[in-house]
Amino acid sequence: MEFGYTEEQVMFRDSVYKYAKKEIAPLVEEADLTGEFSLEVWRKLGEMGLLGLPFPEELGGAGASVVTCCLAGEALGHAGVDQGHLLALGAHTYLCTDTIFKHGTPAQLKKYIPRLASGEWIGCMGLTEPGAGSDAASLTTTAVKKGDKWILNGTKTFITNAPVCNVCVVYATVDKALKHNGITAFIVERDFPGFATGKPFHKTGVRASATAEVILDNCEVPEENLLGEIGRGFEYTHETLSWDRSSLLSPFIGGMQFAIEACTKYSQERVQFGKPLNAFQAIQHKLADLKMIKEAARMVVYRVAHDKDSGKPLDHMHTSIAKAIVGDWGVKAASDAVQVFGGYGYIHEYPIERFLRDAKLGQIGGGTSEIQRLIISRLLSYFS
Amino acid sequence: MNYDLTPEQLSIKDNFTKFCTREIEPRAGILDRATHAEAARLMKENIKTMAGIGYLGIGHEEAYGGMNLDLISQAIAGEAVAAACASTFLSCGASSGLFGMPLRLFGTEAQKEKYLPGIIKGELVGCFGLTEPEAGSDAASIRTTAVQKGDRWILNGTKTFITNAPIADVALIFAYNDKERGPAAGVTCFLIDRDTSGFSAGKPFDKMGFRGSPTAELILADCEVPKSAVLGVVGNGFIQAMQTLEYGRIGMATVCLGIAAKCLEHANKYSKERKAFGKPINRFQEIAFKLADMMILSDTARLLIYQAAWAKETNQPDSAVLASVAKVWASEAATQISSMAVQVHGGYGYIKEFPVERLYRDAKLGEIGEGTSEIQRVLIAKDLIHKYAA
Repeated sequence: MEFGYTEEQVMFRDSVYKYAKKEIAPLVEEADLTGEFSLEVWRKLGEMGLLGLPFPEELGGAGASVVTCCLAGEALGHAGVDQGHLLALGAHTYLCTDTIFKHGTPAQLKKYIPRLASGEWIGCMGLTEPGAGSDAASLTTTAVKKGDKWILNGTKTFITNAPVCNVCVVYATVDKALKHNGITAFIVERDFPGFATGKPFHKTGVRASATAEVILDNCEVPEENLLGEIGRGFEYTHETLSWDRSSLLSPFIGGMQFAIEACTKYSQERVQFGKPLNAFQAIQHKLADLKMIKEAARMVVYRVAHDKDSGKPLDHMHTSIAKAIVGDWGVKAASDAVQVFGGYGYIHEYPIERFLRDAKLGQIGGGTSEIQRLIISRLLSYFS
Repeated sequence: MNYDLTPEQLSIKDNFTKFCTREIEPRAGILDRATHAEAARLMKENIKTMAGIGYLGIGHEEAYGGMNLDLISQAIAGEAVAAACASTFLSCGASSGLFGMPLRLFGTEAQKEKYLPGIIKGELVGCFGLTEPEAGSDAASIRTTAVQKGDRWILNGTKTFITNAPIADVALIFAYNDKERGPAAGVTCFLIDRDTSGFSAGKPFDKMGFRGSPTAELILADCEVPKSAVLGVVGNGFIQAMQTLEYGRIGMATVCLGIAAKCLEHANKYSKERKAFGKPINRFQEIAFKLADMMILSDTARLLIYQAAWAKETNQPDSAVLASVAKVWASEAATQISSMAVQVHGGYGYIKEFPVERLYRDAKLGEIGEGTSEIQRVLIAKDLIHKYAA
């Protein structure tokens, strides 16, 4: 057991941090305020090679380990990049590209991975529906084979990157009676007939990530765009969980470190009753809690990364604990950070306000805190 | 980065869990309800029992009979001991850790030779005397004095809340030998044997929890010791104490983890057996989610303890802060978890026939002993201010 990083990993993390702080962070406040995804931010992430980190070099990736992907996410959050763009990065890389990479045919890999890994194309993933959130297996989007095409019908919602995507991994059922075992994955391109995306939602937080419905109205998908095997789609969604609970959460840890530093500095500069705020224990205790929560989050998230890097089967206890800690304690950390800044924490002109809005997504997106507890308690019921 | 336990660590976990479940856990409730005299006798036996499988020497050099294992292995064994009986963890820890570690780190060869083999075999019991009636979190304000007189030192003062005081054969006592030089250079640590004239232990305290681990005052009234009783170097006492407490924090976090893990085990088991409204109560989300919270908090505590142990073992620059982080998280997790465990048990959680009642009382010490949660947070914050506010 050891919790250090290799020299290479530390160098990579530091270079991502420096680059992002200089090149990307200055762009994000405006994007968050207007709620618009910034293609400039996306391009800069791509230039640094951050949009296809885990994929093999021959497919345009960097062959990075999961721990290294987490370090990149952490460095980006630490540098002040907003959680909106980082969620876009996560959905693109881990939910879309990785699913194609894992289950695609050689032809599919060749066609999609290099374009996605470079960021030339933007990917998304469509699982959730208006009537199927926590209970994902109850989805009703259908796929019917007609000649050499699949015809998809249904509506997906809360789809990160939908308004800006070029390609979407869509989950649909070939036979509702089969329940989980009918769910099948398809690679759907934006210009396939019958594919449309809705008007972007106005969200509380992660505002610079573009979110919308995906509408499939007799959408025609060529036979060769079936992804993996018929009826195994639900399984595939579970495989992304180890990404969902590691690299996708890592930017939140970086964000906590950003908040720690910002709050410590601000509370030194701000003077009340003749001394800096951080000379008061009430403020010191909040700083300490921020640090404690960050360390806790780091430990549970990197455990999932280590599990995945060492090829272990998915451990639902580990993934659910990671999600619950980052979600629930992340909101407390962000709320404490706003409190340290007082009125300035409540206005957009200071860099802390959006943390609280962004953090709230951690309790909802990709499996609510309640679902994590349900999973953990079910696993506990098997313990003697 | 590697979260896997080594095969040796896995076997430590297994062996200690089995041994403690068999030998120690059945006595935990008895110790809790024993009179002071019985508790003292039973605890001395427990210390010997634990010494029998090497626990008292787990962090000590092989030359004195120890196993010299790393801090993560110590935490793994410690969790198993604490889960079986928190009082036993505390008394063993005060003897081999709080007393033994400073000896290992700062003692002369003669001092180590004199005490460590006995401590490791469980034949001698040690304790650590820093806290005073007027000096808790603010340890630098101790008032006990040591005055040199020829080749002897004369000590005067009172120490309080000293774990093992009623059963200790030997104590470490921290005293000002030169108040003007301040804590950093004016405090010295002395090794004082039980039968030294002018040295005595008070009446055992009636504590809320950890009732099996005897606690009392130590009184020094013109207590006279030879020069050879100085631990290491004159004037280094405060630094020695602070370095020892870094280990102590990981230890206190570990006992909290053991308590929390045992609470979860009991609550999980009970909630599967207990039925209400026609089904086991663990099928109700109000109960199931409490169990999930207990798991989330305790499992995270375990990782933070391993991280702190690794950081200390490998001399990471932020090891002190990580020990404080682990201690606050684990102790506050334990009080919450034990409270939830009582709640899951309902009325049964409130009576002494059920172990969660004891665990609930035991848990509270974690937020107080070895530096309160408040002091830990101040230490963590000061480190952040030092790093980022300049």
